[in-house]
Amino acid sequence: MTNKLELVCPAGTPASLHAAVDAGADVVYLGFRDETNARNFPGLNFNRKELAEGLEYAHANDAEVYVAINTFPEAGNPEPWKKAVDDAAKIGVDAVILADIGLADYAAQTHPDLRRHLSVQASASNPEAIKFYREAFGVQRVVLPRVLTLPEISALNKEIDVETEVFVFGGLCVMAEGRCALSSYATGESPNMTGVCSPASHVRYEDEGDRMVSRLGDFTINAFAPDEKAGYPTLCKGRFVTEGRASYLFEEPTSLNAAAMLPELMEAGVTALKIEGRQRGRAYIAQVVSAFRKAVDAAAEGLPIPQLNLDSITEGQQKTSGAYEKTWR
Amino acid sequence: MSRTSSMTPPLTPVLLAGMAVRPLPLAPLQPILKGAMNAIANRHPDVFERLSCLDDPVFLIDPTDLPFMFLLTPDPLMPELKAVRGEEEEAINATATIRGPLLKLIELLEGETDGDALFFARDLVVEGDTEAVVALRNAVDGAEINVMEDVLSFLGPFARPAGGVAKSAISLMARAANDLEMLRAAAISPALRQSEIQAAKLKKLNEKVDGISRQSRRKRVREN
Repeated sequence: MTNKLELVCPAGTPASLHAAVDAGADVVYLGFRDETNARNFPGLNFNRKELAEGLEYAHANDAEVYVAINTFPEAGNPEPWKKAVDDAAKIGVDAVILADIGLADYAAQTHPDLRRHLSVQASASNPEAIKFYREAFGVQRVVLPRVLTLPEISALNKEIDVETEVFVFGGLCVMAEGRCALSSYATGESPNMTGVCSPASHVRYEDEGDRMVSRLGDFTINAFAPDEKAGYPTLCKGRFVTEGRASYLFEEPTSLNAAAMLPELMEAGVTALKIEGRQRGRAYIAQVVSAFRKAVDAAAEGLPIPQLNLDSITEGQQKTSGAYEKTWR
Repeated sequence: MSRTSSMTPPLTPVLLAGMAVRPLPLAPLQPILKGAMNAIANRHPDVFERLSCLDDPVFLIDPTDLPFMFLLTPDPLMPELKAVRGEEEEAINATATIRGPLLKLIELLEGETDGDALFFARDLVVEGDTEAVVALRNAVDGAEINVMEDVLSFLGPFARPAGGVAKSAISLMARAANDLEMLRAAAISPALRQSEIQAAKLKKLNEKVDGISRQSRRKRVREN
């Protein structure tokens, strides 16, 4: 069993970073304001000056900062990604989170002392893949894809000599991360290359009186009745008509909440817990981080996990334990 | 009091106050909004930097419980906020429209509530260019705006006494909101009870129909 789990929390703006640190984050992860990270949303993320100031604030409060540079460089144009790694190293961040093997190699060769984590976008989910990243690029931690069960995570940790980090709360990708092309299919842009799934520039909400319709590019994603809770306009959580019936074919609008499983995740040898939501407001971050701070501290003391009361801020206002339990099997 | 949306305004003191001031002209409001906008622009220039990814956006902010709306032009050199009547909406070529109860919109502006959560709960409606709305939300959320402090700052030496008055007004409004909630609950209580009875009957009927369908399916399977 590990010691206390590390709480890794999102920030899309300096205000969110302050909120996360003040609420008890051990680590804040963030990205630059460009396509080098998988939350390249308009008006979001950090410029270099904001990162330097945020890092100072975090370190002054015993927290660390990881920088996600976790998209795959455009063919023939690796410079923005290399510059992101160089700048993160120069500013003195505590780790970079990478997905592309070329970039991982660049970071290992150019900045050997810069701690390297493997992003969930790399989709490394078996011991062979993880050992490769460890041996070839000196990766010290891997963020596990959200497709593994608790017994699978436990078995994996016994076979690798790398720290593991798992998602415990927030938006839930149901596809193989880093390999999903649904957003590209609908809009020509994806989280893997341009850093954004279902980009807002392609999203439209239309009020049709008795229903609110969400569209992504040329696709109707959903139609919500007035009293129905809404979700994000992603294809994987769309409601489509097949055989005359509208239903969620892949996944319902719902959020992951694995708070109840913290003791089992500790038993499984996990090092860190990740909260999703760099695109969310600072009110979400303050609320979720504060709740998970209490949960992690309780788990470390062997106490029962307290009720977190986070349903009101989740997608579709529903929660799931995701693949950790795979109750559908 | 949205002009085109199906969104129903909540029963709040804002709604009642809005009804009371509906006959009044908007002209006296404009210099106050101008001063407030200048104060926010001076204190939070980073808001405009985060919006620089957009091409001259114009936002229509529609507090659904007020009889007027706000037109926001976040030009970094000359930001503008002015009040407009609902009847003018058709003539305004807004990049995007954001609708919701006034107090929710203020909470959003101050980062006290999460925009996505409001949207999931259907307390917030967005129309038009979603990218512009997302950029505005992120810019505002990142600015650590305090509406009362920012707006009062442009009053200079009068900020302190005005702040006292504003705090009293907010406290009064909170009490009025509680009273209105009690009134609302009392008014709808008989209808709610009736609706619960109907829902229970409907549930029983549905269960009965499901049971009959199941029996029928089994019978067909056995017959085959």
